[in-house]
Amino acid sequence: MSQALTRYHALFESLRSRRVKPKVPSGVDMAFGRVLMRAKNRRINIAWLRDQAQKIDLLSPEFRNCSDGVLDEHITRAREVFVRGRADEEAVRRALALTRETARRITGEEPYLVQLMGALALYHGRIIEMLTGEGKTLTGSIAAPLLAWRYRRLHILTVNDYLAARDAQSRGQLYRRCLCDVGAIVQETEEHERFEIYARPIVYGTPKQITADWLRDQIRMGPVNTPWTGRQSLMTAGRSGGPMIPGLHAAMVDECDAVLIDEGVVPLIIARSRREHDMANIYRDAARIAAKLDEGPDYSIEHVYRRSELKRRGQHRARQMFDELPDSIWRATRRAEELVRQALVARHCYVNGRQYQVVDGKVMIVDEYTGRFLADRSWEHGLHQAVEAKEGLDVTADRETLARMSFQRFFRSYPFLSGMTGTAADATGEMESVYSRPVIVVPTNRPVIREQWPMRVFRTQEAKWRAIADSVAELHAKGRPVLVGTRSVAASELISRLLESIGLPHRVLNANFDKDEAELIAAAGYGREHGREASITVATNMAGRGTDIKPDDAAKKAGGLHVILTELHGAKRIDRQFIGRSGRQGDPGSAQIFVSLEDELVRLHTPRLARLVSRRVAATGDELPSASHAWLFRLAQSRSEKRDRINRASVLRQDDWMDKYLPGH
Amino acid sequence: MTAERPTFSPFWHRVRAMTPRLRPQVQITRQHYRGMRWHVAHDPTTNQFFRLSPIANEFVGLLDGTRTVEQTWELVLSRYGDHAPTQNEIISLLSQLYNSNLLRVDHSPETEQLLGRGKERTKKKVQQQAIGLMYFRVKIFNPDRALAWLEPILRPILNPVGLIAWFILLIAALATVLPHWNELVNGFGSAVAPSNWGWIMAVFVVTKVIHETGHGVICRRFGGQVPEMGVMMLVLLPSPYVDASACWAFESKYRRMAVGAGGMIFELFVASLAAFLWTATRDTGGLAHQLAYNAMLTSGVSTVLFNANPLMRFDGYYILSDLLEVPNLMMRSTMMLNHLAQRSIYRVKNATPPSSVPGEQAILIVYGIGALIYRLFLFVSITLYIMGKLFAIGLILAVWTAAMWFILPVGKFVHWIATSPQLAEFRPRAIATSLALLIAGALIIGAIPMPDHRTAGGVVESDQTTGLFFGADGFVAKVHARPGDFVKQGEPIITCESPELAAQLKLADAMLAEARSTEQQAVAKNETANAQVARGRVEAIEAQITQARQRAERLVVRAPFDGVVVGADPANFVGSYMKEGKPICEFVNPARLRVAASLTQAEASWLFELPRDQFSVEMRTLSQIDRFIDGANVRIVDAGQRQLRHEALAYSGGGTIETEQQTDQRSAPQAKQHLWWVYVDAKDAAQFVAGSAPGERVRLRFTLPSKPWLSQWIDRLQKAIQGRVTI
Repeated sequence: MSQALTRYHALFESLRSRRVKPKVPSGVDMAFGRVLMRAKNRRINIAWLRDQAQKIDLLSPEFRNCSDGVLDEHITRAREVFVRGRADEEAVRRALALTRETARRITGEEPYLVQLMGALALYHGRIIEMLTGEGKTLTGSIAAPLLAWRYRRLHILTVNDYLAARDAQSRGQLYRRCLCDVGAIVQETEEHERFEIYARPIVYGTPKQITADWLRDQIRMGPVNTPWTGRQSLMTAGRSGGPMIPGLHAAMVDECDAVLIDEGVVPLIIARSRREHDMANIYRDAARIAAKLDEGPDYSIEHVYRRSELKRRGQHRARQMFDELPDSIWRATRRAEELVRQALVARHCYVNGRQYQVVDGKVMIVDEYTGRFLADRSWEHGLHQAVEAKEGLDVTADRETLARMSFQRFFRSYPFLSGMTGTAADATGEMESVYSRPVIVVPTNRPVIREQWPMRVFRTQEAKWRAIADSVAELHAKGRPVLVGTRSVAASELISRLLESIGLPHRVLNANFDKDEAELIAAAGYGREHGREASITVATNMAGRGTDIKPDDAAKKAGGLHVILTELHGAKRIDRQFIGRSGRQGDPGSAQIFVSLEDELVRLHTPRLARLVSRRVAATGDELPSASHAWLFRLAQSRSEKRDRINRASVLRQDDWMDKYLPGH
Repeated sequence: MTAERPTFSPFWHRVRAMTPRLRPQVQITRQHYRGMRWHVAHDPTTNQFFRLSPIANEFVGLLDGTRTVEQTWELVLSRYGDHAPTQNEIISLLSQLYNSNLLRVDHSPETEQLLGRGKERTKKKVQQQAIGLMYFRVKIFNPDRALAWLEPILRPILNPVGLIAWFILLIAALATVLPHWNELVNGFGSAVAPSNWGWIMAVFVVTKVIHETGHGVICRRFGGQVPEMGVMMLVLLPSPYVDASACWAFESKYRRMAVGAGGMIFELFVASLAAFLWTATRDTGGLAHQLAYNAMLTSGVSTVLFNANPLMRFDGYYILSDLLEVPNLMMRSTMMLNHLAQRSIYRVKNATPPSSVPGEQAILIVYGIGALIYRLFLFVSITLYIMGKLFAIGLILAVWTAAMWFILPVGKFVHWIATSPQLAEFRPRAIATSLALLIAGALIIGAIPMPDHRTAGGVVESDQTTGLFFGADGFVAKVHARPGDFVKQGEPIITCESPELAAQLKLADAMLAEARSTEQQAVAKNETANAQVARGRVEAIEAQITQARQRAERLVVRAPFDGVVVGADPANFVGSYMKEGKPICEFVNPARLRVAASLTQAEASWLFELPRDQFSVEMRTLSQIDRFIDGANVRIVDAGQRQLRHEALAYSGGGTIETEQQTDQRSAPQAKQHLWWVYVDAKDAAQFVAGSAPGERVRLRFTLPSKPWLSQWIDRLQKAIQGRVTI
């Protein structure tokens, strides 16, 4: 299919979608808006979906036996209806029955009723919650052609490049059969290829890639916001041939709670180095001054907000040290103190192995949500340089931001948005208020038989780690595969050393060792069989999303995969995701959470309570009764969730303010 | 503690490459505030203003349409170092300028955004008007041409000499009026009488138009444009206004103050002329006299209460603001109080005070507290007044204003407490503090007994009072007592003469003599029957005579008891022929004065619930408002009707009781509600006699047992609503 686009056409499309910016309601408006949205959307509920899915199921025999040629003809006709915007319920049912049949013929998997329900909900712009292992990929792929027909272009956002490329590849045949060309945008895709791929009806990609391309369009096209200015910019500087992304039409987001919520406010930044003046010495000096100051008398650190404050004595001491330095920047006291405060934050709030990792003399940021390195990314406004100076590495040049965009803001620009995830229900409120997307929980095809073992609470971290190692050893002896989830690279390495010391063979999956990820995941589900030991896998959040660990028969017999969570995460959803690695598709499995009163979560969010509890139980031994202490951890978690929620709301407000009061964009 | 000012902003990239500049028509003038230099950017075409600090001004000045924001910032940074604005400050400066339409960003037409901003502004305007329902304004026309014509005519006197002349005139006017102070005060009653309302309104409009013209003319005199004149609703009272905001860009503060004072100068000029007219027509009275009084009243009252009062946003406010060199006084003083509360009550660390100059801070605090108290006072008195007159409208207004002035800020405050990131770390403590303050407030209002006073209007009257009437037809010959004269019992007050009666008596005497002789003759002749007849005649004539004598006696009207003549002056009757039974005047016993009041059921209900010994009452007569008379022996009489004890207690008479529309001028006014009559004696009768005359108006103040404010308020509100609902 040729998708020749004129420059004007592309530009116009691009502008049209740029202008779509739903208002962010607040206060009473927000509550009212949510009520209104619920009222408007109440038609599409589980019962209705089930009813529709059953009707679609009844249509199946009609297509089951027809020849490929006839099927193609049906598809062509169905597409016509959608392209013309005449798709009523009947047409949607027929089309879904068609894509279902096509999927069956091409991949051999026939979507279940629940998957039909999910696909239908996706078509109606819902965020669906489908438990992991229920075949979200298939669900999405039978809804995608319908959306591409109706909205002309559909972006399907996946978690990583690997999945994007894989899905575009594996689903390509299905889509092409449905008259939709497909392409994938990955890190390595060349720019001239991108122009061509974005023109296709279905585009796979990661949110980062697509948002970044969108930002690059913005930078290239300048402040284009009306058809008039657009025409002007095309006539004067249009040599580059218009925008790369021909407008935002529809998006389907996989793992949408991660993309839209957890990472929603992490801004994606396009920056370039400034080579104007070398600041390396200055950052090093700041780090040196910071090292000389004493916490307590000189400064205080607020870990929750990653903020530091110089006290009077600290100010005095710092100023004395400024006087000895030659650079002129130290004469400007306010700026100089700011540098020192930043150095203090870098020193205390950023820890090697948690927020970043030093690899080959470079500071690599570790994504808090996926546990992966964020290649080519750096913190803003000198923080990155401050961390480099602290680690004694080469200080890179300052970078200046050219454009920035948060996913939250970007995805609100899509006129049509739907998504799927294993854990959406916990984020219903935000999905509804920020994105105006209702959430629907699709029932599972087979019941989940995973056992949730009670949380174990310890007084100290040390006791916790020992207990985890013991628990791993015990389960290993039973021949069950075990997955140990940690929050940071450092923690994964700690437990790895511990397991080594008691002689348990295991493999580690974290940002440092991600080369053989696929192989490692494949092996993670092995039970004990023919002289092969059951696998023990220690992983950061890298294994938390989108990974499919399949227990083999031996493992299933032994009781399935056991997941140990060594710490509670900042949000309940992330815990649920990780635990969801076991007990997939009706497989047996179990999970257990280990926490201690010294964990970062309680230290940051309920410091006083944690200390109080710790003092009260000092005499009772290392392990505390779970039933009477779990509340503390849940409280800390809900506080952490609340803090993040407030943070996201304030970013949204700021973005809005900028849009409203600043010229351009 | 200095507030944190991070140098960098994450949003810098959105402005850094822009090449904005001020729109070409924007003018910048220099002003000084408390020794600091400021620059005011003014766009005369849109009448938008923006105040810039010297550094901001330099920054804006460096923006020439070719330099980018970033280059300019770096220039400023290299010049000023720590004092240079941060990126955040630059962004907010640019956005404010841009949204005031003072900044041109690039050459491309940004119709959509311009429209968007226009809409935004209109929406804001509408919102502001909705909030200030009490201060609604409608533009009518552009007075600039009229002022351009008027100003050159007046120019010769618009100078310091003119001002001095004006001042002398004002003093002279005061000097002529003040000797007649009592007359002035007495005139108030007739001025507020319904018959005068139309005239008052007309005079008000005229004086206010002159007032506004004054602003406009002086603004033009110093080169400002006056683009707008219209009508503003001022607490339900339509009043004209002009937009003389062009003067904000004047460099000299004295010129700005002159424009602010111009209105009052012109208005008081008119009032002075009116004062001369009023004095001149004092003896003749008539419409001119009344109109002159109206003019003095409206200008005097409005000047003192509103225009010159710096606590409301009228002329006085702007004059004071310029005089003190504290711009935005009202807003910033509110901010200052907020800041103080944040810092001292909630211990917010990073709060930035709206001013860092100590002198200015003190002004802001003092002004802020004053304005707050005044606003409360004004709110309460205005709504109570309107509620008294028009209950429903008053209630709506009160609820509306309460919502805008109190509930909205309280809501904002709660929202601030609950969500403010400033409080993040010590929110529990902030909540605890607020709760403690709230509880303390609630205790003061709800638990601590406070004096409870109720007031009522009354009239002095005598226990022993009677009307005097003519006892017989006759010409009034002599008047012995005038109103206010004390007359002993039995002494004459008025003497009438009746020639008719005198003639009658004479005739009767003659007839009696004749009849008697007839009788004697008959007796002498021993004609028994004739004697009998003559006897009867004598008797009849004798009776006639006695009757006539009595009538003759009644020609002299005498005091029935020791008392005072009040009411109509008997001297008016001298020489005229009066029929018997015609009223002359009232006669009262001043030794037995009491106060009579009429109270509606709602007002008086507590009187029944409370034992007599639990409350006390004080009275003050209007003539001696500072002298309290202790009341005693309170008696309540169920009037069983709606008749007022005295006309002076009705609205139309200046009292507090609502009366029915009167169809018949002569009939007594009927209250809208059932009334109780309450009589109060003076504890020491001498106190009354010392100065009060019957018929005088009295304020009664009942002191009830102390009760917490809350229950007092609930009580009153209940009464107020009860009274209305049971109609």
